[in-house]
Amino acid sequence: MAGKIHISLTVNGKEREANVQPRRLLVHLLREDLGLTGTHVGCDTTHCGACTVMLNGKAVKSCTVLAVQADGAEVLTVEGLAEGEELSAVQRAFIAKHGLQCGYCTPGMLIAAHALLQNNPDPTDEEIRDGISGNLCRCTGYTKIIDSVRYAAKIKNAHK
Amino acid sequence: MAVEIDSEDPERFFVRGKGRYVDDIKLEGMLHLHVVRSPYARARVISVSGGITGNELRASMEAVGEDAGGEENTSVSFPVLATETVNYVGQPVAAVLGDDRYEAEDRADEVDVQYEPLTPVMDPERSLESGPIHRQMKDNLVAESVLGKDFKANAPIELEDTLRMARMSPNPLEPRGLVAAYDGSMLTVYASTQSVFSWREGLAGSLGMPEDKIRVVQMDTGGAFGSKGGIYPEYVVAAHAAMKTKRPVKWIENRYEHLMTTDQGRGVRAKMKVYAERNGKVKGLKADLLIDAGAYPVGGGGWVASWISSQLIGPYYIPKAYATSRAVLTNKVNLGPYRGAGRPEAAFFMERMMDKVADETGLDQAEVRMRNTTTKGWTTPLGRKTPPSKPFFNEALRAFKYSSRKKKEKLGLSLFVLVPASSGGESAKVAVKGGRVKVWMGGNSHGQGHGLFAKMLASKELGVPENLIDFQHTDTSALSSGVGSWGSRTAMLGGGAVVEASRKLKAAAKKKLGKRYSKARLLEGEYEAEAFFKPKDFLNSLGANMASARITKVGMGTIDEVVSYYDVGTPLTPYMVESQIEGGTAQGLGEVMYEQVLYSEDGQLLTPSIADAGLIHSTEMPKVVAMTGTHRSSLKHGAKGLGESPTIGVPPAATRALEVALGRRFSYLPIEQEKLWAVELPKE
Repeated sequence: MAGKIHISLTVNGKEREANVQPRRLLVHLLREDLGLTGTHVGCDTTHCGACTVMLNGKAVKSCTVLAVQADGAEVLTVEGLAEGEELSAVQRAFIAKHGLQCGYCTPGMLIAAHALLQNNPDPTDEEIRDGISGNLCRCTGYTKIIDSVRYAAKIKNAHK
Repeated sequence: MAVEIDSEDPERFFVRGKGRYVDDIKLEGMLHLHVVRSPYARARVISVSGGITGNELRASMEAVGEDAGGEENTSVSFPVLATETVNYVGQPVAAVLGDDRYEAEDRADEVDVQYEPLTPVMDPERSLESGPIHRQMKDNLVAESVLGKDFKANAPIELEDTLRMARMSPNPLEPRGLVAAYDGSMLTVYASTQSVFSWREGLAGSLGMPEDKIRVVQMDTGGAFGSKGGIYPEYVVAAHAAMKTKRPVKWIENRYEHLMTTDQGRGVRAKMKVYAERNGKVKGLKADLLIDAGAYPVGGGGWVASWISSQLIGPYYIPKAYATSRAVLTNKVNLGPYRGAGRPEAAFFMERMMDKVADETGLDQAEVRMRNTTTKGWTTPLGRKTPPSKPFFNEALRAFKYSSRKKKEKLGLSLFVLVPASSGGESAKVAVKGGRVKVWMGGNSHGQGHGLFAKMLASKELGVPENLIDFQHTDTSALSSGVGSWGSRTAMLGGGAVVEASRKLKAAAKKKLGKRYSKARLLEGEYEAEAFFKPKDFLNSLGANMASARITKVGMGTIDEVVSYYDVGTPLTPYMVESQIEGGTAQGLGEVMYEQVLYSEDGQLLTPSIADAGLIHSTEMPKVVAMTGTHRSSLKHGAKGLGESPTIGVPPAATRALEVALGRRFSYLPIEQEKLWAVELPKE
């Protein structure tokens, strides 16, 4: 394989550097090189959303982004949602409303919900369904995930 | 080089991205395994060279866990790595190792396999007239079952239909996977699994190792739905590679591999015939089932034939019944369990016929079912014990508000018996040390939150608050035996074992402390107790569903609401009961609307991604109303089965609702999309 390329990026507010093959996927950079295993691989084909992260403020599926494309970028993963020990509104809402079962889709769902509420702080149920429609869950039937996102909006809006 | 697994409350852990799934494991010197697979559905292997091949690893697969129990056809074994023939697309032929998954995949180029392609057998209807797939067999028949007695029918109404459920893939969000590590004496396997004990048994059998030299540890497991109870060739190869290289070896399935090579469920055709009176009472049932067992006569194919046909009568009183059933080979991946594993098939076939009786007699669908229920428990002519279904169905109809809703809505109903996998029992262990309590179960959660009820039950028995109780991942080194989590069994059996182990521990502490015994002194000491719980009674329970359908503005049939009424005994963790029903409802609807695995005539997979497999999205999920009917359980802690109920009850109810809305009969699942269109658009 060809030589490695040096990249630097900000992940969850920290400057990180890595030497990566041009073919390396962002999800593998995060999981294997940076040890951030909260971001999961579910389908390898951009359908399931378990690998969703924020890249320069937008939710992307990190299984179809090359690590080199994230050079100079700001990345937020599930590990960066909480501030220290204090969980974010979305995380607290998923616990309070039981928006998870096996936990595997959860990090991607949390990031998708985070992105949705960032753009639309008071979504309708239909907008919530649309907002997480790029993320698959096989356990919950989405019902409690939708409840969680609605509740997260409520928590956030109450703190304004 | 141990892997530490935190026992903190899983929800708090998962939302921070701190779950510990098998792919998160990173061990010093760890290699990644990549499996080289057959591109053909059927071929002779002329030669194979490079990597680890079947010439080096001469091993075959054992049917263990949920797959075990069938009549084995021992003339053909399912090789770990194929050397003579390949019999489904994706069958493992060789394996290569690399320092990371990229390098391992590159190394696939080092493997050279020469094939002579053969014409595959793809249609189960033609399997028995085709030549045998395996030269050791005289034909493609895996198993045959005859239940009940043939009878001469004398009834004014005779109705028949051919019904079918497609093959479906379990598709948990986390694919299968493991890490195998070997220290020169002990093989340790970290697994995404429904059963550490089945894995140990299967690995020991395939590798010819004593079980006490193998330890299997369950990691957080991201869903399973039947796909992680038994073992697969990749696990044997990874274990072999770890022992050969003396380095830890990781193998993680990708989604394409899951759809190609993880056992698929359903895949059954039924010819059903019912004999009924004009008043709707069904007097007799004849059924002939054909099951697509896949490529090797191991596992599911061996037991599914009699298992499905034994359940065909469901909750009804039908005095005469005769059911024949055959499982046949095709060049597809093996048949295996998918949430429900035979139960949904039986219920779908019977419920479709009840609706046909309703249509023929002009009676309401609820009335026809009611007339065929019983006020007493009985054993059907096909051999299943059934609880009294009449009082339960009455309750369900009241809960559904069926009689008022049917005036305005397009409704479908179902009534069924859940036959949980309650035989075989389950283990649990409870230990007190350092002021805290630890609880293990032989079969463990893969997303159902079993830890919640395990902690609750131990807390109740020991009088220790739940915040002092840690629920542990299952590990073969922690318990002396165990079974696994499938077939709606764990709340009943694992829960029962936690109760028994807790009582044993408490009795031991009382014996030691005598009059000094108190909860505080209990926690000051060190105690340990293990129990294996095997209930005496049968634990079958009843369930019913109602679905409401409508035609959308663009003219397509859709499900608006699904209501369930299941007898779960005492709900141990009420929100988890609700969650199980909601998630199972999504899978049940998936079966009706989209889910299937399709092959071309030459055996190539036509549904190679998770999008093609047809999982329900958030935008398609209807309103779910989860109700439970609490009827006494024969178990001390009150539990009954639940996990599979929605995949049993939702498909027939939703299919009927769509049928009522669209005015055309549906006999196949999933319903072809073009058949969901209404001929006429509803007026605005």
